[in-house]
Amino acid sequence: MSATTWGWLVLAFPLAGTLVSALGFRRLPGRSAGWVGTGAIALSFVASIGALIALQGHAPEHRELVSSLWSYASSVGIDAKVSILVDPLSVFMILTVTGVSTLIHLYSISYMEGDRGFVRYFAYLNFFVLSMLLLVLAGNFLLLIVGWAFVGAASYLLISFWYRRTTATRAGIKAFVINVVGDVGLVLGTYFIFKHTGTLDLLGSFHAVSNAAHPAFGHATNDGDLVAGCVLLLVGAFAKSAQIPLHTWLPDAMEGPTPVSSLIHAATMVTAGVYLIARMHPLFERAPAAQDVGAIVGAATLLIAGTIGLAQTDIKRVIAYSTMSQIGYMIMGVSVGAYAAGLFHLMTHAFFKALLFMAAGSIIGAMAGEQSLDRMGGFRRALPFTYASFVIGGLALSGIPPFSGFFSKDEILLVTGERGGWHWALYVVGYLGALLTAIYTFRLIFRAFHGEPVAEAQELEAGHVHHAEHPTNPATGEVEDTDVGFPGPVHAIAERALPMRVAMGLLAVGAIGAGLIQIPKVDFVIDDFLRPTFADSHLYEPHTRNGLLALGLILGTVIGLAGIALAYRIWVARPGTASALRSAVPGGRALYRLFLNKWYFDELIDALVVRPVGMLGRFSRDSFERLFVQDTLVGGTTGVVRAGSAAVRAAQSGFVRYYAALLVLGVAGVGFYFLLQT
Amino acid sequence: MSAAVLASAHLKGPHVDFAGLSPLIALLGGATIVLMFGLIGSRWVRANLVPALSLITLGAAVGLTIWQWDEQKSIVSGALRIDGLALALNLVLGAGAACAVLLSWRSLAAREAAHGEFHALLLTSVGGMSLLAAAQNTVALFVGLELLSIPLYVMCATEMRREHSLEAGLKYLIVGSVGSATLLYGLAMIYGATGSTDFSAIARALGGGGLATDPLTLTGIALCVAGLCFKSSVAPFHQWTPDVYEGAPTPVTALMAVTTKVAALGVFLRFFDVALISAHGSWGPAVAVLAAITIVVGNVGALGQSSLKRMLAYSSVAQAGYMLAGVVVATRLGVQATVLYLVVYLFMNMAAFAVIVARERVTGLGDSLDSLAGIGRSDPVLAWPMTLAMLGLAGIPATAGFVGKFYLIDASVSGGYTWLGVAIVVGSMISLAYYLPVLATMWMREAPAAGRTPPARPGGLPALAGGSPELDAGAGADAGEAVVPADGGWEVGLVAVLGGAATLFFGIVPQPLFDLVHSAGRALGLL
Repeated sequence: MSATTWGWLVLAFPLAGTLVSALGFRRLPGRSAGWVGTGAIALSFVASIGALIALQGHAPEHRELVSSLWSYASSVGIDAKVSILVDPLSVFMILTVTGVSTLIHLYSISYMEGDRGFVRYFAYLNFFVLSMLLLVLAGNFLLLIVGWAFVGAASYLLISFWYRRTTATRAGIKAFVINVVGDVGLVLGTYFIFKHTGTLDLLGSFHAVSNAAHPAFGHATNDGDLVAGCVLLLVGAFAKSAQIPLHTWLPDAMEGPTPVSSLIHAATMVTAGVYLIARMHPLFERAPAAQDVGAIVGAATLLIAGTIGLAQTDIKRVIAYSTMSQIGYMIMGVSVGAYAAGLFHLMTHAFFKALLFMAAGSIIGAMAGEQSLDRMGGFRRALPFTYASFVIGGLALSGIPPFSGFFSKDEILLVTGERGGWHWALYVVGYLGALLTAIYTFRLIFRAFHGEPVAEAQELEAGHVHHAEHPTNPATGEVEDTDVGFPGPVHAIAERALPMRVAMGLLAVGAIGAGLIQIPKVDFVIDDFLRPTFADSHLYEPHTRNGLLALGLILGTVIGLAGIALAYRIWVARPGTASALRSAVPGGRALYRLFLNKWYFDELIDALVVRPVGMLGRFSRDSFERLFVQDTLVGGTTGVVRAGSAAVRAAQSGFVRYYAALLVLGVAGVGFYFLLQT
Repeated sequence: MSAAVLASAHLKGPHVDFAGLSPLIALLGGATIVLMFGLIGSRWVRANLVPALSLITLGAAVGLTIWQWDEQKSIVSGALRIDGLALALNLVLGAGAACAVLLSWRSLAAREAAHGEFHALLLTSVGGMSLLAAAQNTVALFVGLELLSIPLYVMCATEMRREHSLEAGLKYLIVGSVGSATLLYGLAMIYGATGSTDFSAIARALGGGGLATDPLTLTGIALCVAGLCFKSSVAPFHQWTPDVYEGAPTPVTALMAVTTKVAALGVFLRFFDVALISAHGSWGPAVAVLAAITIVVGNVGALGQSSLKRMLAYSSVAQAGYMLAGVVVATRLGVQATVLYLVVYLFMNMAAFAVIVARERVTGLGDSLDSLAGIGRSDPVLAWPMTLAMLGLAGIPATAGFVGKFYLIDASVSGGYTWLGVAIVVGSMISLAYYLPVLATMWMREAPAAGRTPPARPGGLPALAGGSPELDAGAGADAGEAVVPADGGWEVGLVAVLGGAATLFFGIVPQPLFDLVHSAGRALGLL
């Protein structure tokens, strides 16, 4: 089979899974929906491997295959086709997405076991993966936008999955609204690019910007339309990938079930922005101003998110800020031309971040839904498997060799450093962020697993999983029941559920070993594989400076270990150091409050956007809307339509003589008009 | 002796292109056969074999049409034209008529009219439509129009015991005659002005001198516009439509709503975009204004109707206005858009009418909106096609109606009638106000608990002149007679499901429709 046939199959399986779960929810017995969903994504993964093998059978310069099923509309200059693009980049993405998603589905079968919305959950989950696969396989801007919007919709459905929790529905709305801001950016950006290149086809537009004889084309020209288009694409990428200032939805999205967080963070959603920039690199390279915007925002995000992660106490939120920070690295990477490194980090991050979330889910299960670090402690003996997984994920995240995160993160920073000039600032910020990463990651591990076992941990050591007498919302403490719309009564821990252990074990293998496929000076699997996609890029070249490489490797190791040591010193060796530091360092308390309150971004957006818009809205509603829109426009038009309706009905008397009379009148009117023409 | 004279005289009959005529021959021949079989005494034969023969006839006509595909020729001394447009419309007519046959198979209307007559009339009428779609001569045009209309007048009145059915037939006859007379008058004037009945000759005459601004020609065109507008129910010549659609038996309404419109717009396209193309500057704006009035009147009139058939009648008025936009611009894109819309219009309307027929048979509430209450839960097989049909008629994306409307708007804008495109959009907006209540009734209202009174069956009514007492006495009792099924009937459900499925499928994969209308667009030689 050809690579594109495999590509269509990759989309077909999740679609089938979604439909089976969505339509058969009454008839699917027991947990079968979970296995249907998992099987669908697993088959999709198999098809991705098929696409990989088929693609590698082509010569490197012929590895960009487009297949179009049918054309949806082709007029007024728009070439809207249902087409996919199968090339090394999209195959890389579908492999990562389907591989990690399969394991997350598997994990969910146990994790969601007691939930009343089990089938609905898997229908949404399959739809989420389908949307993401559509996004990465899209062969033109139109299908890309469809996938992009579907991802936003699916995330809304899953974040608000426990729809009777007000905090969850509010978080879902927030995620959706901010994502729609991004969608608008993507659509407007597409418009500018369409205006510039005259086609919606991805390859066609890349071809247009690189080959046109027009003097405005060529390298590094910063053409107005193209920069506007690329910056607007970045707005879309920032919203989807939770970059400052459109990041505030991501921590709130932790209201969804933990496997959903895992899916959003590892495979399906936040990586979309990274993919978008990498996919559009021919456009971005001709709009360097937009590239710089992406690099600076990515660097700022990685640093700010790292500091926030230091102060948060909700275990999932800390990991969420860690994701923001790591996506910041990727966005920075693909914006400075480190495409292979950025995507490599995307893949390794998918492994260890999914693993961390799954381990966190296991602790939360042991805590019967409680997520606060303040309430946790000493789970090391009670949850040995979870502990091991968490440490593996944490070491990979902190960039300790030979774990996977070490190689991918350092490669991003290496390429950044090689660009020279002001990029050195980004290099320094990157290593500063690495220090923060190691500290907050091990703060999590030390606070949750070390120290004195809390009551729940002791209960578990005695062989019994803790169950709260009255299930409560961990965010507000409101009492809940366990019916549909709230979390179910069963809490799963990895130690007692084989599917969870299998999923976490496989991810742990990836988190440990995935870095080995691309070791500087040793092997270049990712570089070589992706080269056909980036063949036209002038930034995609192998490293040359050995000194910088050696410096980076040593610096990365030292900083990672130093961070862990610091964390050990603060939270294990001498508990209480944290609060002592806050009072000892001048301004320490203020800094802590800044981090704890997430740099006041929510308040800032509230003050700058939400409140003014709200006030304007209320003012408009009371004046403009009531009087002009409602009374005049709406009331007027409906009045006119109603009056028209009444008139038409009045004319419809039922008497043939009136009909004949109107017919004659009509004929006279038409005849009169024509005679005026003479 | 006489044989030798004949042989020596070299008498030569006119060349008859039987291949080109074959779909028409099939239809009219089939009508004769069906009429004959209708005389057979066995009730089973009348009730089941006759509709089956009608279906076979329509199938043969469609098959012969496909056989003639890719032909481009004039036949019968130039009176008829076999080209992409005529053949595409033939396909739509065949499919629409087949749906109508299925809907009327076990209906009261067909039984009251003794099956054979009903189906013979139906096939004759379809033959007239087919003739009309191919006519390129004013005589053929008028013959086709009358062949279409007269059987329909009768079919409207086939439920002879129902007052409204009779009223519909009579009204249609009277007002229809006025319309035909108007058209005939107009054709005569054009003949008087140009000295020709042939479309291409008329076009040549109008293109030559100052004839295009001649009062006689223009009066003739005005009367033709009015006459054809009457047949395609364009405002202000639409007034018969709601009354007749509501009164006529529902299968007949379905036939009228779809196939009459196909034929009328087909002849609109050919007559105005070929014969009168030189006078486009005169009739274009006039027809555009009529289209806009029609869109407004149809959509506004449909608001608040509680009878579904009446609502669909106004809706069909509005749709005629949309489709007229493709005629007005007189471009190849316009022809394609109109034909494409006719095809999707067939799917959507057949689905809707099939659901109405099924619910009429089950509930006894007639075609009232209430008859649909709660079927989303109780009968999703009918609720989904109706939902898709309503969304399609309103032009919601992912239905074929959206694709059709998109092309009509595209055609109006690129043909220089942007304001008409805007009118189509505004009309679609208003239309949601009467399509969506149907959805709300189906999905959000509870089915009436005690309202399940089966429809009144005939019997015990006084015998009619011309009706046969034996039939009345044994109505429905004989095992061979197909009685009106109390569950709606599988064939009706089939039409509904097919229509709904096509509406959805072609909304997502419109490519086959583009291919179908492509040759129709080329047929008229427009740019």
